Formats: sequence, structure tokens, C-alpha cells
Amino acid sequence: MANLYIDNVHKSFGETHILKGIDMDIADGEFIILVGPSGCGKSTLMNCIAGLEQVTTGRVIIDDEDVTQSMPKDRDIAMVFQSYALYPNMNVWKNIAFGLEIRKLPKEEIEETVGRVADLLQIRDLLKRKPSQLSGGQRQRVAMGRALARDPKIFLFDEPLSNLDAKLRVEMRTEIKKLHQRLGTTIVYVTHDQIEAMTLANRIAVMKEGHIQQFGTPQEVYDNPANQFVAGFMGSPSMNFIRCQVVDHQGDATIAMSVDGKDFHLPIPQQEKGVRERVGQEVVLGIRPEQITDVVPQQEQASTLANVDAEIIVTEPTGADTLTLIRMNDQEVNCRVHPARAGAPGDTMTFMINMDKAVFFDLASGDRI
Amino acid sequence: MTVKHSNRRYSEITGRAVLYAILIIVAIYYLIPLVIMISTSFRDMNDIRFGHLIDLPSSFSFEAWRMAWSEVQIGARRQLGLRPYFINSLLITIPAVTISVILGAVNGYVLSFWRFKGSNIFFALLLFGCFLPFQAILLPQATVLGKIGLSGTIPGLVLTHVVYGVAFTTLFYRNYYVSLPGELVKAAQLDGAGFWRIFWRIILPLSTPITVVAVIWQFTQIWNDFLFGVAFSSPQSQPVTVGLNNMVNSSTGEVRYNVDMAGAIIAALPTLAVYVIAGKYFVRGLTAGSVKG
Amino acid sequence: MTQSPPLSEPTRAVRKVHKPSLGDRLAEQIPRLVVSPTMLIAVVFIYGFMIWTVVLSFSTSRILPRYEFIGWQNYQRLFGNERWMVALTNLGIYGVLFVVICLAIGLLLAILLDQKIRAEGFLRTVYLYPMALSFIVTGTVWKWLLNPSVGIQRFGRELGFENFRFDWLVSSDMSIYTVVIAAVWQSSGFVMALFLAGLRGVDDSIIKAAQIDGASRITVYTRIIIPSLRPVFFSAIIMLAHIAIKSFDLALALTGGGPGYSSDLPAIFMYQFSFTRGQMGVGAASAVIMLMGVMAILIPYLYSELRVKKDDR
Repeated sequence: MANLYIDNVHKSFGETHILKGIDMDIADGEFIILVGPSGCGKSTLMNCIAGLEQVTTGRVIIDDEDVTQSMPKDRDIAMVFQSYALYPNMNVWKNIAFGLEIRKLPKEEIEETVGRVADLLQIRDLLKRKPSQLSGGQRQRVAMGRALARDPKIFLFDEPLSNLDAKLRVEMRTEIKKLHQRLGTTIVYVTHDQIEAMTLANRIAVMKEGHIQQFGTPQEVYDNPANQFVAGFMGSPSMNFIRCQVVDHQGDATIAMSVDGKDFHLPIPQQEKGVRERVGQEVVLGIRPEQITDVVPQQEQASTLANVDAEIIVTEPTGADTLTLIRMNDQEVNCRVHPARAGAPGDTMTFMINMDKAVFFDLASGDRI
Repeated sequence: MTVKHSNRRYSEITGRAVLYAILIIVAIYYLIPLVIMISTSFRDMNDIRFGHLIDLPSSFSFEAWRMAWSEVQIGARRQLGLRPYFINSLLITIPAVTISVILGAVNGYVLSFWRFKGSNIFFALLLFGCFLPFQAILLPQATVLGKIGLSGTIPGLVLTHVVYGVAFTTLFYRNYYVSLPGELVKAAQLDGAGFWRIFWRIILPLSTPITVVAVIWQFTQIWNDFLFGVAFSSPQSQPVTVGLNNMVNSSTGEVRYNVDMAGAIIAALPTLAVYVIAGKYFVRGLTAGSVKG
Repeated sequence: MTQSPPLSEPTRAVRKVHKPSLGDRLAEQIPRLVVSPTMLIAVVFIYGFMIWTVVLSFSTSRILPRYEFIGWQNYQRLFGNERWMVALTNLGIYGVLFVVICLAIGLLLAILLDQKIRAEGFLRTVYLYPMALSFIVTGTVWKWLLNPSVGIQRFGRELGFENFRFDWLVSSDMSIYTVVIAAVWQSSGFVMALFLAGLRGVDDSIIKAAQIDGASRITVYTRIIIPSLRPVFFSAIIMLAHIAIKSFDLALALTGGGPGYSSDLPAIFMYQFSFTRGQMGVGAASAVIMLMGVMAILIPYLYSELRVKKDDR
């Protein structure tokens, strides 16, 4: 159990700069999720924390001790890999015990630890098997067991569930969450999966091109994205971005919008003062699909609502909702509609746009206004 | 419809028959030299002189084998037969294979899992060594072996084979190791294992297939070598390939084909045995050098 | 210790700064130490010696190395030597025929073997076993088979073909072709193995797609499968050309370079001038020419190979 402080870490391979000044202050017991497109430096950052790569400049501080120059073995970190990296020539027992044997723990203690971990993860029956005789889910458990047995200061998870099928992934996700609640160890966890990120994290760090774009709680990142990249990256289906103009309409700053040849105005929420000052300029409106729905009568009076008739281009039923594609300002926009009220492609239906949670980005920089 | 159908069946069967016929004829072409070699080695000279090239032997004896192994005079050597040459070959091959394979394994391990600045350039430089025409280093190597007093000795030949074999063994192991997940080594590092422990406990236990390939490759190369054997040896350290060549070309008087053939089989026996026992790995070694692996 | 945080950042209080111990620093050097013997080998025994040979080729060395330099004289003598020119011509004939015939036989056998043949494993073993023999053994056997008075010619006559002639081995015009015959016998199975591996690697779904499009079996082979074997052709040609240039033992055991020097090859020439005729300078020059030949073939190959390998990391 320990805190982790990453202080202005840079990492370059020759002329290629992978990490360009990463700062993270992670409290003891936090569950941190790293997300970002492939090649953004997440894995390199993990390797730098673990000591598998030397940082070029900057510091890594674990439990208030500067370990920047320490070897991986001295950092007391355990890692679960995407490929699990189980030692193929050793059985499950040996795999879990290997790190303990190297640390020269007494035999009884190793026996006891392996037993405890095996019970915790329900893999006692598998202890005599080789990794090749295990299913994907079992391997995943063994990989976790190997990490748990070490009782490290910090766990690193590198896309641990991405090789599992959908059902197992959900199960293991819950299990990891329970484990974290029980052990309270600091975890840094890389994933591609939006839902994993949202459900597991205390805080999410969104990375791109070697920089952290935003580091905050899941809800913050979702509702208040720092820029267009973060907004587009988090959430599935992703946020709609519509290029549009801020205009003065009857003395109030509004968004000019045109749907199927008809012009109308969308209200700008009061708190978005920055946008209100940009009358006459073009901005990017960010609005999530669930903010554009079928008309819900009891909400209709709110000031941030607007109704619009639009022709449906495509529908994609997902079961719980039907995703409906329409065009606004000649750009495709996804809406989330109740299945019973969704029309067919070619139909025109009335949508209700809730601007309450709309966000606005600068056209050129993509930064939040 | 039915007529057409049976026609097709018919042509398919003849097609298969032709296919098998070609394959078998080619197989015979490859086998005949071996068959003649073996049968001739058991015949006596009268039989060979008056019988056919391919014929059931009218005589059967181990005489030619005994001659080739321990009685025939080769050059001006005091000891008779191929036996001393055969022993030399063993004394050269075994240490040279062992050392070059061990070096190749650790080199491959470093070049796959512990890369450092310049390690890729080093590998590229070494790769060229696999294709080096040995004529280009023959003269300096002879000079150096003379300078360090290993000229014409078995250790000198062992050194030569190690030096020019290590490029191949490194290539084998390196190409095999890069196909293993690098995360294994990372996991072991986090578990606290160091360079050698990871090699012994994790990587080496996974290396059996490639070790078989490397050992077979090196064994075949070194056993069958003639150029180094003839250039860097003295009569006391010549390998069996040189012995066979001397025997065939230097025997005075009548050419005894049965003895030549027996000698050829003796020289070929170890590598043929390896091929028969572990042919799969032999092929893998041959193709590993050329097909990207 | 050396890295202080940037001034703009507040300095974090740290209980302890871990410095790498002496053991850790040593451990970091182990990989370099481990490969250093091989690095020495590569630098000295491969590249150093290559340069040394080049140096010798410009020197007056005869039986022993001497470092008086005479410019291009050895090369002039080399190319003024009729025997060397014969050896080069022979290498041309032998190299081209050997590569082309091996490729043709190898590809044909591989395709035939790829037709779901019953005894494939056995046949493959038979086709490939000559590769396990040393060239000296192959030479010894074929020397006997090709000897007119005891081998194939006599066998033909005994079968009743009184005028059957097959005396290439003792004919100055034809002796180099006997080297081709023996070399093809030894190496064509290897090419077959390469092609077979390549054929097995062709994506099945491409073949199925072509069949659905109505392509006949022959069309599938000529238009789809064989073109997709390009890299195999490439590496097979490299390997075979390389074997051809180095060829030494086979020709020596089979023909001894004779009759006369009619079947001489550069490798034999190099060996005899350097080691038995005391013409080290000329021998070195011939070695340099051989090296150039191998490089001319190899450098494009290694270049493309390494460019692919760069994507590894």
C-alpha cells in the first residue's frame, strides 16, 4: 500500500518522444485508469512506473521514496499483463510461488500464501496444471494470483481483461472491483474499454501523444471534458460534434442550426458564459446522443430544451435504446431514442434536444470554451 | 449426366496415378546413389568388375568396410583406415557444436530481451557472417592460427568452427526468442529475477525445439566441413571428410570401389543418422536460415 | 540525485532517494558483457579478416604474407590467367544451371507433394536426405556413377545399347555439367522443402475464393499461388547462389577441377593458389572477387530483410 507520484516524466527512444512530461499524484489506495488511443504512451508509462524502462528525465516516487533509479525488483510492484505472461514451463503453483521463492521467503510462508491466494481466486483445483491446460479466464485468474501473492505496494494492470470474451470480462471486472475494495491497494490500470474505465476508476487519466489530456473522476471526465479529444474518446457511442455559429437571436446568444432545410435556434445554457461572448463566431457544439431523444412531455417546459423535426437516415436498435442517425447543419448526428417511439428510416420524427449538458469547443484548438 | 460423371472419375484416377508415378520415379532417382553405394560396399571386387552396376550382389562381405575403417593406407599416414579421421571429426565436432550453441543461445537471449543501444546493428553485422564466403577469411585465419600456435591442431579447428558458426546459432535463437512474448521476461523481472535466473528458469526451459535445430545444424555443418578441415589441419588432425577424399584420390594401384563406397558411408553415417532420427528439426534448421522466422 | 525537479514545480518531500547499488550497475552491463565475445568475433574474425584479405590482395605475398604493396598487379595477373577465366566461366555456367534447375525441380516437386499425397512424409524424407550428406560423400558417389568404365555408361551398354555414351566426367567440354548433376541431386530437395513450406503458408481462403470465381486448378497455381511465393523464390535464389559461389568440396571430390582445369571453380582456384602454389597475393585477389560476388547478391537481400525486421519494436 502506497501512494505514487509521477513527477514530470519524459521518455524518449532516440528521437521519438513517447512521454512528454507526465505529472500524476496518486493517493494511497486509489484506483487509477489510464485510457488513450494506441501509441499514446500508456504502456510506456506503465513500464516506467514498473522500472522496466528507465525514464529519460523526471522522477517516480512510490511511498514517498524516490525510486527513479531502482531496479524493477526493488520497487515492490506487481503487474498483470494483457497476455498474462504465465511461465509456460511451470505449473500454476510454481507460477504463483516464483516471485516468493526469489525473495527467499520461508517454505511454509510460501505454501500458506499460495494457498490463501488460490482460495481467494478459486483456483485451488488448478494448482497442479500447466498454463497451456487452462482456459483464458483461468489464466487470467492465475495471472492475478501471481500478482496478489506478492502483496506489493502497487498493482499495475495492462489491459488485463481484453483477451476475455464479453461475459467473462464483466464477471472479472466485478471481481477486480471487489478485490480492490477488500485489499485497498493502489492500482494503475490500462484499458480500452469505456465501461471498465467508468465502473472501476476512482480517477481516469486520458492520454494522447505523450500528454495527459485530463485527469479526473469518471463523471468529471464524462460531463466536463477538457477538450474535444477527451469528449470524443470517452463514451460510446461517442459525443456528436456539430460545427455551428453563435448568433444573436432576439437579444440572446443562441446556436444557429439548420435541419432538413429549416433554420432554428438552440438555447445556450447560462453557465456557458464563454460561448455567449462569441456571437458571430463559429464553434463546435458537443452533445451526447442521450441528450437528443424522443419527446418526453413532462420535461418539455425546461428552458434548455428545443424540439426539432428531422428525417431519420439510419436506425440501429441496441435493445435498450435505438440509435437514430439524423442530419443537423449537414453533419451526421446520433440520437438515442426509446425503441417503441423510434421511426423507420425515411420517416420524419420530432426529437427533443436537451442543451443542459451541451459543451462547446474552440473550432481551431479543440479546447473547451 | 452419369456418363459425364464417371468420365470425370476416370480422369481423376488416371491423374492421381500419373502423379504418384512421377513422385515414385523421382524418389528412385534420389535413392539410387544410396542404394548402389550400400550394395557396392558389401560386394567384392570381382563381383563389381564382372557384375552389373545395379545387381543383386553375388557375394556379401564386410571386407570392404573393415578395409575402409581400419586397414586401408591413406597417404603416408602410419595409422591405417578412416578410424583416426573419424575420431578427429568427433573431437572437433562435439566441442565446437557445444560452444557455438551455448554462445548462440545467450546472444539470442540478449538480442531479443535485453536490447541495448547498438544491439540491432550488432545483429545485422553478425547476420552477414552467415553468408560470408569462407575463402574471404581463409588466409588471415591461417596466419592467426599459426601465430597463436594452434595451426594444424584440433583446438584450432574447434576455434575456427565456433567463430564461424556462432552467427548461425545466434540467428536461430534470436529468431526463436523474438517469437516468445517479451512480457514473460518483464513479469520475471518484477518477480525479482535477474538476467541469469530468467535465462535458466524461464527462457532455457522453453528453448528445447530451437536447441535441437541449432545442434543438428551445427553438427551437420561441422561434420561435413571440408574447406577448414583441409586448410587448417595437419595429417594428425584431419577430419573424416578430408580422410575420405585422400583415400579415394590417393589409393595406389587398382581402384577399390567397394572400399570407397564403404568409406563414403562411414563418413556420412553420423549425419544421415541424425537426419533419419530428427529429420523434422533438420528441415526446420535449413529453412530457418532463409525464410523469415 | 542528479535529477532535480524543474524549478516551476513544487518539490515533493521525499523520505529517501534510492540510488542504484554497485551490483545493480554491474547487472545492467551483463547483456553487453555477454555478447562481447561474439562482438569481438564479428569485428575481428569476420570484418577484420575480410579487410586483411583485401590488404593481402594488394601485396607481394607469396608463400608467407608480405606487406609490400603493388597496387592492382595481383588482380591484373588474376584476370590475365586463363585458368581463372575458365573458373569464372564455369561458375557462370554452373551457377545459372544449378539455380534454375533446382528451382524448377524444387517447385515442381513441392506442388506435386502438395496434392494431399498419401506417403508425403516418406517421400519428403527421401527427397531431402542428400542434403544431410557432405559434398565430399556426394562427390565420391557420383564420381563412381559417372565413371564411364564402371558407372552409368557401362550399365547402359550392358543393357544392350552398344553405343550408349555418357562420359562427361572425363570430357573437358562437359565435366562442369557433371558438377551440376551432382549438385542438383544434393540440393533440389532442399528447395522443395522451402517451396513446400511456402505453399503451406498460402492463405486457404484466397484459394477458395479463386475457385468460387471459377478458376481452374492450373490457373489457381499459375496466377495466385506461385506469384504469392515470390519471397520464397527470392530466398531460395539467394541460398542457391551462395552455395554455388562457395562450391569447393563437391567439384574437388568429383572432378578435382579436371580434366586439366576444365571444371575449375573460383573456390578451388583460390585454395590452390593460396595454399598449394604459394601465390597468396593472387589467391587473396580471387577471394576478394568472390566476396564481391556474394555481396552483390546479398546486400539487396539483407537490406529488404532488415527493413522488415525494424517493425518488430
